[in-house]
Amino acid sequence: MIAIDEVGFTYAGSPRPALSKVSLDIPTGDFLGVVGPSESGKTTLACTIDGVVPHCIDGDFYGSVKVDDMDTFEVGLTDISRVVGTVFQDIDAQMVSTVVEDEILFGLENFGFSPDEIERRLDDALAMLHIADLRMRDIASLSGGQKQRVALAAVLALRPRVLVLDEPTGALDPSASRRVFDILRDLNKQGITIVVIEQDIGLLAAFARHLAVMNEGRLVLQGTTRDVLCNADVLESIGVSLPRVVDLSLAMRSGGFGSNQLCVSVDEAEELLKEVIA
Amino acid sequence: MSDASVMEFRQASYAYPGMPGTYAVHEVSFSIARGEFVAVVGSNGAGKTTLSKLMNGLIKPDSGAVLVGSEDTATMSASSLARRVGMLFQNPDRQICQQSVVGEIAFTLSIRGDSPSSIDGRAREIAREYDLDPDADPFTLPRSQRQRLALASTVAGNPSILILDEPTNGLDGRSCRRIMERIRALHAAGTTVVAITHDMELAFDNAQRILAMSAGSLVADGSPESVFRNAAVLDEASLHAPQIVDLSERMAATGGAGSLLAHASSVADMMEAMRMAGLSNQGERNAR
Repeated sequence: MIAIDEVGFTYAGSPRPALSKVSLDIPTGDFLGVVGPSESGKTTLACTIDGVVPHCIDGDFYGSVKVDDMDTFEVGLTDISRVVGTVFQDIDAQMVSTVVEDEILFGLENFGFSPDEIERRLDDALAMLHIADLRMRDIASLSGGQKQRVALAAVLALRPRVLVLDEPTGALDPSASRRVFDILRDLNKQGITIVVIEQDIGLLAAFARHLAVMNEGRLVLQGTTRDVLCNADVLESIGVSLPRVVDLSLAMRSGGFGSNQLCVSVDEAEELLKEVIA
Repeated sequence: MSDASVMEFRQASYAYPGMPGTYAVHEVSFSIARGEFVAVVGSNGAGKTTLSKLMNGLIKPDSGAVLVGSEDTATMSASSLARRVGMLFQNPDRQICQQSVVGEIAFTLSIRGDSPSSIDGRAREIAREYDLDPDADPFTLPRSQRQRLALASTVAGNPSILILDEPTNGLDGRSCRRIMERIRALHAAGTTVVAITHDMELAFDNAQRILAMSAGSLVADGSPESVFRNAAVLDEASLHAPQIVDLSERMAATGGAGSLLAHASSVADMMEAMRMAGLSNQGERNAR
């Protein structure tokens, strides 16, 4: 679905590259979490998938990114945006309208759908994100969690096959964060490929199928979520904190308690502890 | 208000203009003692940020009162309050207003009334204490450094009470640890700290006391152990317990040997409890 091959990018005027020789294959239907310290290149990597890099940001770009066999360097942003939907880190910067309904209509009208199709997609998007009651609300009056769902609805109304999200839970409480990830899991089950940058590695541990770990513009680890989380030393050395249950299961493993299972959720850790005390 | 109390809410309520009767904070009462480290937790829209604005006098209660020291914030000037209550906003970009790191810190020092001849030198000293390049343009710095700058310039005012609205939001693990080290050092030096946070691990690991908000009301006020081990409070305030606390509660509920892990609140506690309980490890069992 997405083939990133030897990609590098240096922002105009910057003395060092934001991305260096990054290669990553993201299969159709994957749920990929991208983690890493600040300024490690996560957002730039996301921007190469939706074409913002190199189309909208000046800099030195090399390598290739193919989405659905489209080379993002060769095709325009409009073509890419028919496949890739993006939810930015700063939701307020993404909003172009003042009313929820208008926000969702903006993309649909710009894509030139018929009035019937627009109405159908608007209703579907509102229902999917459980925000039908917010349809005529002023966006400025919404909570962070509500705005997040409006931004997702506006993107999902365009029915992208790839959804890229940059720290979607930054302003949300733990329950709202989990609800956003529940929605992403549902979308993923429907076949949408999810690429999500997230600081809360506990959420990624519970939801992502694969992880890609960035540091200083390079991809330093990639693999299944469990395999990547086993590299505690590497993750700690670059400043990525592990979920406490992962720490616990690694401590139990080194102390010889229980099986060698790596627990990525409290449910799994509970089962492991029950084994030990049985 | 006791002598040791530095802040007190007395049945304080506030509704935003245009939303009469819909209280963002409703009849909230508590007091904070000098030198306490308090975490305010609750879901989005629970009233946490409104509470923080009432604390530093950005807004005044519609009814009830908020006291800082023994003075009612309703009668205090913004500058008088700002000298005593420092506020770190959730988004540093809404706080930083100068074109250089040193200028940002100097701005606070000048408001505090430092002598003009000492300001530049002191501002540079503070910048270096916070590992910041004094001459850098704040708006070109990474988020973690902008957050440190916002904290440095807030602390430069030497407030006796520090309000932190999501101090680690958007920061990676290492940056979180660095900023929390700074905050713990300030607390150890006597600053009263009130941290508003969605990060339950941060609240549990650092705070001496938790205020849990829900729908504008204070639904719990107690130690981290008492709040995060109270299922009814967690449910009412839509909170999740820190992972190890959650796990130890689940193990306690299984009874039997599981109760040996009932009080563990860290990975080290868990491991210690397993060793102390003489739980044989799998390797030994296999060997037998």
